[in-house]
Amino acid sequence: MKATRAQRAAKVLGRVLIYAALLGLALSMLVPFIWMVMTSFMNELEVSQYPPKLWPSRFLWSNYREALTLLPFGRFFLNSIIMSVGAVVLQLLVCSMAAFAFARLHFRGRDRLFGLYIATMMIPVIVTIIPAFLIVDAFGWVNTYQGLILYFASSVWGIFLLRQFFLTLPRDLEDAARIDGASTFHIYWRIALPLSKPALATLGIFSFMAVWRDFLWSLIVTTQMDMRPVEVGIAFFHNMHVTKWPYQMAAAVCVMLPIVGIFFVAQRYFVRGITLTGLKG
Amino acid sequence: MLYGRAWPAETVVLRVANWGGAEEVKSEQAIADEFARRHPGVEVRVESIPASNYKEKVLSAIAAGSPPDVFLLDSVIMPTFINRGLLLDLMPFARAKGIDLSIYFPNVLKIGMRDSALYAFPKDFNPIAMYYNRRMFDEAGLPYPQRGWTWEDYLGLAKQLTKDVDGDGRTDQFGTAFSTYLFYWQPFVWMNNGDILSPDGSKATGYLNSPATEEAVQFLIDLRVKHQVAPHAQYAAAESGGITRLFFTGRIGMVVSGHWLLTTIQEYMRRGELEVGVAPLPTPTGGKHVTVMYEAGWCVPKGTPHPELAMELAAFLGGKWAGMQRIESLIAIPAIVEVAQKQAELDPFGLEQVFLDEVPYCRQPWGTVVEQFRRVEELVKDAVDLVLYRGWDLHAMFTDAARKIDQEFAEARETPVVAAKPGSERGFVLRFLFIVGLVSLSAGLANLVLARHRERRVTAEGYAFLLPSFAHLLVFVLAPLLFSLYLSVHRWDVIMPTKPFVGLDNYRSIFTDRLFLNALKNTALYTLQVPVAMTISLAVAMMMNQRIKGVNLLRTLYFLPSVSSFVAIAMVWQWLYEPQFGLINYLLRLLGLGTWSGLSSPNTALVSLMVMTIWMQIGYQMVIFLAGLQGIPDFLYEAAIIDGANAWQRFRRVTLPLLKPTTFFILVTAIIGSFQVFTSVWVMTQGGPARATDVVVYHIYQNAWEYLRMGRASAMAWVLFSIILVITLIQFRLIGRRVEYS
Repeated sequence: MKATRAQRAAKVLGRVLIYAALLGLALSMLVPFIWMVMTSFMNELEVSQYPPKLWPSRFLWSNYREALTLLPFGRFFLNSIIMSVGAVVLQLLVCSMAAFAFARLHFRGRDRLFGLYIATMMIPVIVTIIPAFLIVDAFGWVNTYQGLILYFASSVWGIFLLRQFFLTLPRDLEDAARIDGASTFHIYWRIALPLSKPALATLGIFSFMAVWRDFLWSLIVTTQMDMRPVEVGIAFFHNMHVTKWPYQMAAAVCVMLPIVGIFFVAQRYFVRGITLTGLKG
Repeated sequence: MLYGRAWPAETVVLRVANWGGAEEVKSEQAIADEFARRHPGVEVRVESIPASNYKEKVLSAIAAGSPPDVFLLDSVIMPTFINRGLLLDLMPFARAKGIDLSIYFPNVLKIGMRDSALYAFPKDFNPIAMYYNRRMFDEAGLPYPQRGWTWEDYLGLAKQLTKDVDGDGRTDQFGTAFSTYLFYWQPFVWMNNGDILSPDGSKATGYLNSPATEEAVQFLIDLRVKHQVAPHAQYAAAESGGITRLFFTGRIGMVVSGHWLLTTIQEYMRRGELEVGVAPLPTPTGGKHVTVMYEAGWCVPKGTPHPELAMELAAFLGGKWAGMQRIESLIAIPAIVEVAQKQAELDPFGLEQVFLDEVPYCRQPWGTVVEQFRRVEELVKDAVDLVLYRGWDLHAMFTDAARKIDQEFAEARETPVVAAKPGSERGFVLRFLFIVGLVSLSAGLANLVLARHRERRVTAEGYAFLLPSFAHLLVFVLAPLLFSLYLSVHRWDVIMPTKPFVGLDNYRSIFTDRLFLNALKNTALYTLQVPVAMTISLAVAMMMNQRIKGVNLLRTLYFLPSVSSFVAIAMVWQWLYEPQFGLINYLLRLLGLGTWSGLSSPNTALVSLMVMTIWMQIGYQMVIFLAGLQGIPDFLYEAAIIDGANAWQRFRRVTLPLLKPTTFFILVTAIIGSFQVFTSVWVMTQGGPARATDVVVYHIYQNAWEYLRMGRASAMAWVLFSIILVITLIQFRLIGRRVEYS
């Protein structure tokens, strides 16, 4: 009885400590976001305070109005949405097809080809972005949505992620489908993809985020303001020596909220995709 | 009816590239529209580019063979364009049109001239001066600085302004600041009758390491080290762009800065939040008064299809009417005397006039005549940083830096400058696309032919599934990679189409470059954060995988750093690391555990970046671990529980093995990403202090975009690639083969 009570007390204490640590770490993640939001309501001199202020003396909503009207942010948002949604759709299709091939099809030269894909992640973008731009320029895609979107149509990172996940799919399901005469595409579309919702949700979130927050490629491939996405727009608040911090943070908060919202909603796709209790029976 | 109709002339489109902030975008477009109104049939497109990326943008357009018709160049990059014969000489046009060049400040106009040729219609410029906080002076009962004040006066005032205000034994108010960037302190050297380079700008030895130059620099170094009237190791913020912020908040009494600061200051003064004065820089006893200015002007590339109209537009943009339109939004002094005087009249605080009075003393910086002066600046700054942070001897450091500068100048002189029209790189790069496409097609067909009969179908299916991603890889990665491999054995400055073959020179110079090896070492050390981040992320993911209240919210909180503005993260972490006011040191002092130097010490800066990186990675890796955890079938855990396994045993025997593919993915991608770290270094530390956080990709970036050495940058990239490839192959050998589960 006493031992049981002591064990129970230790268990509860351990759990409390774990949750306290988790919550503390989570709150530390919140601090930059809070600083962003509070800064977006401050006047510029308040932002320069040292130590930094975490509370504005007056909430200047005008910072949001100014930030979003000084430049055509409505257009910037539209461009970012078109760019990001287009890229996510393409990536989910292209990466999942490639990952399926690398994980489930035993074709000649597969592993060497996968190695080639992985190897391309190892060269810094800085030295490939100009040649890539020159090629796109030759295609006539500067200042076009295809120039903005197709650069992100595929990602080795995404292929690698999905491949690792496809490796863990039970072979039994696939074998059963083969016996029933299913085609390779059918197995990919009807079995592999539905079972991979957590991984697909992960890729969807990260690819959306990467494209939504892209700066360098979008800058390089556009010259017209009406083709710019939001991240390039925000850079105009950061001049050589003078930065309009409140405006930059107000715009950054507006840019950030859609991603947070999407993540919050997309979490439900992390619910278990595989319920195979009856399989072994 | 058609016979009597006049067909409209075809519309001519002129493209103007300029940098600017949000306000300038509109004002420049309005000015361009006025030019179009005065020239029917002409349309002017202003292509505004964020200032911090202007160089990359313009150089890319030139490399593509489609430069704008008129572009704004600052004085630092202008010599590169002039020396390669890429700009039109505007003087014949100006004479033919009767344009009065005497409306400009003569020393500003001179920056764009070579002998009797004119390559830029000046737009504006920024002299350097001393800003001082009037309230701090008033509270201390000190007289304001005036023209003619000496270095002794300056030091005396700084000492009296340096205080420990809250009595905790640490200085929290400083008299002045010393930034080690050359473009701030160059005038002090000139005033002391020293210089960085010889009068013809051809060498540094005997000038940089001369007593006059070293005396001036030593005076400035002593402000931090000896007299401690300027923040040194105590303030990380000062080293990462925070001097201005400390000045605005009354913690630094005097700062050397450019006219670019004035617009912000006037805004604060109009609101009564700040009281600032401006004074000329102090003059050493026995020296002469000099300051420096940084200028921008409108240039026309030789390749423009409409040279006459383009020059007309450049003259208009640099003319009086346009100058008057800019007065409200300008952050620099207009290059036209009359416009500048008008701007000074509109300044209710009289600060503009102080800058105007300085114009006759403005000397053009070396960057306006010496190509790649950015390299000189880097070498000199490195030398000063080593003196400040490692206590090395100034003369030895400057002698070494001067030798390196002379060596680079000698190499540059040996490089033949081929004056040629900029060509298009499109066709050239497409050749690489064709080559890799052909090779890939051949390899694919060969594999199909060689495949055994039963294998052929699955091979064809595999290739079909891979086709979309492979097409993408060809265009955006493989062809560019082949091009960069080609560049690594050639010399290319991005501007000219010529790329002389240099064999392995680029690689050889890398391995004799102490800085590159230092960057490699730092990058390797930085990568030690990977296992720490992964361990914490997995622990968090395990806990986030349970059904507890609020878990959705907690997951979202952990995800926030991945989506927050990196600038916001940088600001907060700089504050956390502050030795004086930062949260970390506040807690450490509370516990009596001493002080952590954070980003301001070479010994701790890299570790500080690593800690921040770990913190940022947790949310990102957690999400991926969660996806992997969700893929583990329930029944395996149920079976383990039935067998009597406890939590730890379930973790070791079920979770870890089945999580291996996910863990492997995170490990490989985290290491690759770590070796390619760039953004946090670029934003937080710029590779400092004293190169303690210089990493390979930052090195590559500098070579590609600041030194215009694309060949060398490509070679560095391939060296880095080789290292990462070896490490990744080791991982695949050790772990990768055993990840398939069935």
